[in-house]
Amino acid sequence: MKQSTTWVGKEVVRRDALEKARGLTKYASDMFLDNMLWVAACRSKYPHAVIKRIDVSRALKSPGVVAVFTHRDVPNNRYGVFVKDRPVLCDDRVRYIGDIVAIVAAESKEEAEQAVEEIVVEYEPLPVVSDPLEAMKPDAFPIHEGGNISRSTRITFGNVEEGFKASKAVVENEYRTAPQIHMFLETEAGFSYIDEKGVITVVAGGQSPYRDHHEIVSTLQLPPEKVRVVIPHVGGAFGGKDDVSVQIYLALVTWKTGRPARFVWDRDESTIAGTKRHASIVRMKTGASADGKLLANDVEIIYDTGAYTALGHAVLDVAIENCNGPYKIPNIDIKAWLVYTNNMVASAFRGFGAPQVMFAMEQQVDQLAYELGMDPIEFRLRNALKRGDVMVFGNKLETSVGISQCLEAAQNHPLWRQKETLKSEKSLPWIRRGVGVAAAIKGFTLGALPDRGSVAVELRRDGGLTVKGSFTEIGQGVVQAVAQLAADLFKIDIEKVEVVFADTGKTPDTSVTSASRQLFLAGNALKKAAENLLNLIREVLTTRYGQKVIEARFENGYVVGPGFSHSFEEVAQMLEEHGLSREVVGVYDVPRVEPIPGSLEIPHLFYMFGATLALVEVNILTGTVTVPKLVSIADVGKVVNPQTLTGQLEGAAAQGLGFALLEEPIIDKGILKTTNLSTYLIPSIKDVNEIEVIPVESFEDEGPFGAKGIGEIGIISVAPAIANAIYHAVRVRPKSAPMTPEKIYWLVKQAGLTVK
Amino acid sequence: MQYSRVEKEFFFRLNGEEVRVRAPPGYTLLEVLRHILHLTGTKDGCSSGDCGACTVLLDGRAVHSCLTLISQVEGREVTTVEAVDEKVADAYARHGAVQCGYCTPGFVVATAYLLSKMHNPSDAEIREWLRGNLCRCTGYVKILKAVESLAGDDG
Amino acid sequence: MKSLSYIDVFTPRSLEEALELLDKHRGELAVLAGGTDLIIQLRKAQQKAPNLLNIYMLDELRYIKHDNEIIKIGALTDFATITESPIIQRHAPVLAEAAATIGSVQILNKASIGGNIVNASPAADSLPALYVLNATLTLRSKTGTRKVAIEQFYKGYKKLDLQSGELLTEVSFPAMKQNQIGMFFKHGLRQGDAISVVNGAILLEVLNGYVKDARIALGAVAPTVVRATESEKTLIGQRLSEDVILKAAQACLTSISPIDDVRGSAAYRKEMCVNYLYMTLWQMMRMVNL
Ligand SMILES: Cc1cc2nc3c(=O)[nH]c(=O)nc-3n(C[C@H](O)[C@H](O)[C@H](O)COP(=O)(O)OP(=O)(O)OC[C@H]3O[C@@H](n4cnc5c(N)ncnc54)[C@H](O)[C@@H]3O)c2cc1C
Ligand code: FES
Ligand code: FES
Repeated sequence: MKQSTTWVGKEVVRRDALEKARGLTKYASDMFLDNMLWVAACRSKYPHAVIKRIDVSRALKSPGVVAVFTHRDVPNNRYGVFVKDRPVLCDDRVRYIGDIVAIVAAESKEEAEQAVEEIVVEYEPLPVVSDPLEAMKPDAFPIHEGGNISRSTRITFGNVEEGFKASKAVVENEYRTAPQIHMFLETEAGFSYIDEKGVITVVAGGQSPYRDHHEIVSTLQLPPEKVRVVIPHVGGAFGGKDDVSVQIYLALVTWKTGRPARFVWDRDESTIAGTKRHASIVRMKTGASADGKLLANDVEIIYDTGAYTALGHAVLDVAIENCNGPYKIPNIDIKAWLVYTNNMVASAFRGFGAPQVMFAMEQQVDQLAYELGMDPIEFRLRNALKRGDVMVFGNKLETSVGISQCLEAAQNHPLWRQKETLKSEKSLPWIRRGVGVAAAIKGFTLGALPDRGSVAVELRRDGGLTVKGSFTEIGQGVVQAVAQLAADLFKIDIEKVEVVFADTGKTPDTSVTSASRQLFLAGNALKKAAENLLNLIREVLTTRYGQKVIEARFENGYVVGPGFSHSFEEVAQMLEEHGLSREVVGVYDVPRVEPIPGSLEIPHLFYMFGATLALVEVNILTGTVTVPKLVSIADVGKVVNPQTLTGQLEGAAAQGLGFALLEEPIIDKGILKTTNLSTYLIPSIKDVNEIEVIPVESFEDEGPFGAKGIGEIGIISVAPAIANAIYHAVRVRPKSAPMTPEKIYWLVKQAGLTVK
Repeated sequence: MQYSRVEKEFFFRLNGEEVRVRAPPGYTLLEVLRHILHLTGTKDGCSSGDCGACTVLLDGRAVHSCLTLISQVEGREVTTVEAVDEKVADAYARHGAVQCGYCTPGFVVATAYLLSKMHNPSDAEIREWLRGNLCRCTGYVKILKAVESLAGDDG
Repeated sequence: MKSLSYIDVFTPRSLEEALELLDKHRGELAVLAGGTDLIIQLRKAQQKAPNLLNIYMLDELRYIKHDNEIIKIGALTDFATITESPIIQRHAPVLAEAAATIGSVQILNKASIGGNIVNASPAADSLPALYVLNATLTLRSKTGTRKVAIEQFYKGYKKLDLQSGELLTEVSFPAMKQNQIGMFFKHGLRQGDAISVVNGAILLEVLNGYVKDARIALGAVAPTVVRATESEKTLIGQRLSEDVILKAAQACLTSISPIDDVRGSAAYRKEMCVNYLYMTLWQMMRMVNL
């Protein structure tokens, strides 16, 4: 049911914006405590080696050094969300160049750095396995005991061979994408101290305080109540802070020395040691009938997880679930592997496994449309999922589905309608123009995995509300959105809503901030909290009036019912007088179904949809591709804050553009050569031109006020839209992302394009 | 290898006030601001001149504090985001140009510098002048709008 | 990144004092100009950093003068000043164009022309322009002054004709003549600031529609910047036409010996040299034949 709203849907300036812009906000990296130790890491010198000996005696004597820690100091030296395959401090082996063998805590930064040089580690190098295809071979050198396949699965529905037989056009291609680096502006950073109650407090950039807390207490074997994790404003995350980085080390230092500590990675450390988007190899054979119906998709997905699994098992599921695009396909056969190599560790990155497979699928679909002589959008519309459809995995879609609306918006857009005119407009003789489209789908929430979130709402004595949840403010504006939802649910002025976030000592577990679901969870938990508060108030009023109060509702900062009206201030006072807590908790369990065999979390009940249009200019003499215009269309359910929404979609589009064209880590036998922002290039303000955002409101009944997730959908179809635009411009299919000038140049040259 | 710390005293004007600070002469201005003075509005995104998060004004000109040694600052005037006209930060906030906000102080200083040189920059000029400031969150669209809103404003 | 907490920095008040100090601590001091190259290099190095001679304060090395048809630029002059200078815009627009592309605004404000020259990166963007302008470098030490032609200054990859007691104090070159046109090109891997994959400068002297003289320099395709002499020869005496510029562009291959690195393969660099020469000459052809 659509509810009327005052704050939801309104363009409200973010409350944290001005302080941030003035440089007043304190991020984890901005904090300096008295008596604080500086932590520095001794990282592996090899991508793969046996550790023969670690000698820290000289480092211990180095000036200013207070402590040096190795694996011997970590009671339970393995961690990981799906597989405990990762050491806190390496003991027997190093598996990539970001691995940490020892950490030093010293009085100053430079003393810590110098002492690291004094640590002697004797290695015996092992064969480096850098190519995932090599790693998969049975005789490949095993990086972990069980071999190099962290997970593999196969999921089939229908019969692809029959599907291909009935097809008029069948296309088969192999696509590759590089491991994108998050390059958030604030690197992994944190500090720690022991508070007045003796609790080891870790304040660090992250996405999930309770998960970070769990990793600390399980590796250091500390009593849970002895550790507190706080996540302040984070200088960007995009999934790259979903896994722990500095947290366990900080807790270790403060636990063992009793002193505050600071551990901040520099840019090189961050690019080498932080997690990445999985590099992918995706092979697809896709068939469609003469009338443009997709009939079969045979898919092989190989994702390189690097040295450790991290969140890879779930990422692989997302790849599998979304590799067929937002389409109905009766026959599918999907084989997928998550492979260990000695490359950098891959884990979560905005899109979580979907952008790689969509780069493949959306080019397949485009090619089929061309081969069948159909308009690419018309072709997509013919196959687009609708509410009530049975999806590829046999699940029925009963939630909102906005893909047709997105595609129609693309179809009606001037960029699409005028694409042939735009293509034929002449500028310099070596410039070619083209327009491309791509669609996107991604499930949100944790799918078939259990997923629950809580928030607490305190009715303050001054009549305001304090909302407490473990959601993290990684830049996406969740604090603002939660305030808006709360203001509308409790019918109170937004200025009176305070939000406390991401503190295991103060906020209940709202579950992890990822999978575009934080707002969905927090909003629904808030709804429950609002109900609970009203119930509580009704009880109090019943006792007070001596007769049953059945009806009560929030209105304009008051609780009103037949014959009464109490301000929030009065209600707060009443609760206290009745010896009741002024705080209520709302708990929301995300609806889900059982996972299909061979998967962890497939299918989801809720999906986001989107489409991207791209106008490109290709310089055929250099291979340089520029993007004068991107149109980002997304089914967002309901717009909560237009400014935040467009901001998320614009940001995702720019990251997608980087993934599509620029961001190419160069890895030589496990060693990353592009460790900084001058060799690993992310888009600058000159690379991102016009971005138009078109929100489509499909209204999700289960979402708070109809809203869905918005964080990820905007990145997924950017790279294939650009690839398809390049095809439109120069008639070559770039099957490897990023589509760097050099790659495009050789393709164009091979195709024999010339200036005249 | 163990090297002992060298320290010297430096005088300069910081945000309109005389400061005297003891620091290693090989420290960058960024290290002095953040690690010694704990003035943390100026951010460290790369320490290599690639991101612009550390931008300050040195005698009124935008430079990277991560590529400026404190020894190069002796006797000069440094302005950090904390002392830049608030209307610039306000424009960024109002136009939604702030997400995680870690890049924003650098943009605010670079923008103040641009406006000190050019009252009414075109879209292309804004892009030219802000090309060294990287933002990973916003996609720059709202940053451009924020700066445009300040253009021609002599107030 | 490591902190340079252990080094000392000497800050002379005058050029004389700087040369004095440089002489006294021969070989022990590194010269700090803008610092945009040096600071990162020292903080990333495995070895201990040397103490520094901070010449950044020497305003006497900041000037742009037009003297008897000779343009003189003090070594500490930053690229923002160079690119905005009316003298340079008028008398050496090819240098103004190159200077504008050096990093970001923040880099431009600090990076000095002397630093760009002495740092000797084969991809340094001011060098091709200085090559085609026939620049001369003035080197001073406590004991004297000498002048070196820029092409003679570079002996190999980062090998320079520079003694340990010497400072580069000035860059000079003849002002461009009325009938000369120059253009700079740079291929970076993004639209924002980026280090050049290849760069180059072309200076043509045109008389009655014929190329009287041509100078072409290319960067990032050999251990030092190189002159594309075969390309130059192909142009001299000719009218610019599609055919001529295509031949001239292709002729550059004999002058270059690029390598593979993170920014591009040798093969790609070769093609880019040819194609950029073609695109740039094409634009110059349009200007000339207008
Ligand atoms: C982010 C970034 C982007 C960049 N982009 C570009 C680019 O696009 N194009 C480009 O060409 N360069 C670029 N550079 C490199 C650099 O900015 C230039 O080379 C600059 O001109 C160096 O000048 P400086 O004054 O900062 O030199 P410094 O770093 O101070 O010195 C460089 C070297 O020259 C020596 N030296 C300096 N001055 C003298 C002198 N007068 N006498 C003797 N020796 C001297 C120093 O000892 C040192 O070895 C970039 C650098 C960064 C950090
Ligand atoms: S921190 Fe100085 S430019 Fe990035
Ligand atoms: S707002 Fe996060 S980097 Fe710009």
